[in-house]
Amino acid sequence: MALVACHRCVKVPRNFRLLEELEEGQKGVGDGTVSWGLEDDEDMTLTRWRGMIIGPPRTIYENRMYSLKVECGPRYPEAPPFVRFVTKINLNGVHNSNGVVDTRAVSALAKWQNSYSIRVVLQELRRLMMCKENMKLPQPPEGQIYTN
Amino acid sequence: MAESSGTDPTVDSNVVENAAKDRTMIVVTVKTPKDKEEIAILEDSSVAQFKEEISKRFNAKLDQLVLIFAGKILKDGDTLNQHGIKDGLTVHLVIKTAPKATSGSTSQNSASSSGTPQANSSSSASSPVPNASTPPGTGPAIQPPNLLSGFGDLSSLSGMGMGSANFMELQQQMQRQLMSNPEMLSQIMDNPLVQNMMSNPDLMRQMIVTNPQMQQLMERNPEISHMLNNPELMRQTMELARNPAMMQEMMRNQDRALSNLESIPGGYNALRRMYTDIQEPMFSAAREQFGNNPFSALGGNLDSGVQPSRTENREPLPNPWGPPGTAPSESRGTGSSTTTSSNGGTAPSVSSLPNPLGINASGLGNGVFSSPGMQSLMQQISENPQLMQNMLSAPYMRSMMQSLAQNPDLASQMQNPEALSVMTNPRAMQALMQIQQGLQTLQTEAPGLMPSLAPGGIPGIPSTTGGSVAPEGPPPPTQGSNPSADVSPSQQQQQLMQQMLQMFAGGVTTTQAVTPEVRFQQQLDQLSAMGFLNREANLQALIATGGDINAAIERLLGSQPS
Repeated sequence: MALVACHRCVKVPRNFRLLEELEEGQKGVGDGTVSWGLEDDEDMTLTRWRGMIIGPPRTIYENRMYSLKVECGPRYPEAPPFVRFVTKINLNGVHNSNGVVDTRAVSALAKWQNSYSIRVVLQELRRLMMCKENMKLPQPPEGQIYTN
Repeated sequence: MAESSGTDPTVDSNVVENAAKDRTMIVVTVKTPKDKEEIAILEDSSVAQFKEEISKRFNAKLDQLVLIFAGKILKDGDTLNQHGIKDGLTVHLVIKTAPKATSGSTSQNSASSSGTPQANSSSSASSPVPNASTPPGTGPAIQPPNLLSGFGDLSSLSGMGMGSANFMELQQQMQRQLMSNPEMLSQIMDNPLVQNMMSNPDLMRQMIVTNPQMQQLMERNPEISHMLNNPELMRQTMELARNPAMMQEMMRNQDRALSNLESIPGGYNALRRMYTDIQEPMFSAAREQFGNNPFSALGGNLDSGVQPSRTENREPLPNPWGPPGTAPSESRGTGSSTTTSSNGGTAPSVSSLPNPLGINASGLGNGVFSSPGMQSLMQQISENPQLMQNMLSAPYMRSMMQSLAQNPDLASQMQNPEALSVMTNPRAMQALMQIQQGLQTLQTEAPGLMPSLAPGGIPGIPSTTGGSVAPEGPPPPTQGSNPSADVSPSQQQQQLMQQMLQMFAGGVTTTQAVTPEVRFQQQLDQLSAMGFLNREANLQALIATGGDINAAIERLLGSQPS
């Protein structure tokens, strides 16, 4: 299957994009601080994804791994994905009760472009962890997850 | 030729079996934030087996490894197949540093921080502290070698330290080690454990707080306890300590701010007050430690200039032998420049109190080796190995150490905190050097002039300790060190001075008595010409300021309510 590289010039079909992202996730494209992949390998709609963010060093998130669920709707990549944390986290822009990431708080989601990808979103969230306003927020004990 | 490869029974049966069972080796890339390795493993291995391979390759323990693939954490019981890990794909690896310590310290600290809101809870604080900081698990009164024993990298160093009876040697060795291997120090800093520890403000606070000196200090000076209780500040401090660039930046800012402050009328007094309020209690707290371990102060002194977040210490250094306080103006300049230049020379710390506070809150660093100041110093040292070299190679340091090692008496004398303050006072040391040079010159020029220069001969004249004839240069440079002070506070000091001079001059001591009056004749004249007619007061002021006319005038004006 031909995966078109230039996203700007051609509107790439959703599945193609997602497959490409799947491949990138498996190949570890990027700096190794975020990881993503299909939640269920049999998911033919490529909708439900899992992400992992490694807490950046020198922040309170250091040494922790945050698991996320990313849902790429049918209009992806024209529409941004839904992102929610599975691992409990105290971060501005993430609902305390259920880990849902507020689209308005993350610039990659708020100003979504179809050239963005799951990786971009995860990396943006990681960058948010390094922000001054976030890097020292007290965190819940490690290993807790949102139950709803 | 009906020869089918692979079916020959003599061929390795494993291969046959493998081929039959379709077990193949796959090459998986394992990527950490720092590096990347390719690991060959059987396709149907379990995650646990994979981790075995990884732990060998990355030199990490099994329980430190966390594998992530496609956004999921790989559990030991899973298989690679389960996660769809195939040849050529990349798995992310996170090497957790001592995960038990992390979780342990978190839980411990949450328990302890709730149980120890106040500073005066050493009993409960000390128990979690050793538990929490497992590898560097040392008690509250942490001395450098003890703490170092926690770091695996420096285990050899610590062993050497513990075994050494002579603490001086230890210090030297440590310094030499650090000097020769600045990488080690940066390794320490990079050690995620250290970072982890330091990133945990509660833990840091505990360690600092449990130092008994610190507790006393906090009792006396509530501001300090506020400072410690402010997590923001603590974190900032630790952040600074970890980040040398930030540290230097901060120091420069502080220097600038302070020099601005000085230019404000009355600003100098504010600084002085600030210093005395904070430095003095810290110093006296540190002082109490001297009885225990005088030489630790030596090591701890290294960071005296590097505690900007705690205290401001830019006041002029005192003349320990009597006239306290060299000229504030001139030393202020040098003081700030020295602090800026990464503690060039020895650590400058200053007080304009009669009490020579050569050793300031850096003494505090003794109790808490991992204090941010110390850490930042260590970082600076690691960056700049020259620094350590300078410190050690400074002639006065060297001769000092040698003589100390040889002369246990002198060593006991060194316990005198004022004496130690001399050693840390760079200008004092410089002046001592000048004295030595002067003496040597004199010896060569006029051997008959110094009758009592017999080696080992210490004149027992209390009132006049070794005087500097000061042939070289005008009084101001040497005055800071001028030991022939009639105002010498204690006999002990004088004896120490004599011995030190003896040491410096290679066994040469002097009995030249140059009274302050004679020394300050010129200044006295100037003062009287200006209208300060009280000769006594002038003299006192001059002595106090070591001959600096401006400072003497200030003193005089300050004492006379106008």
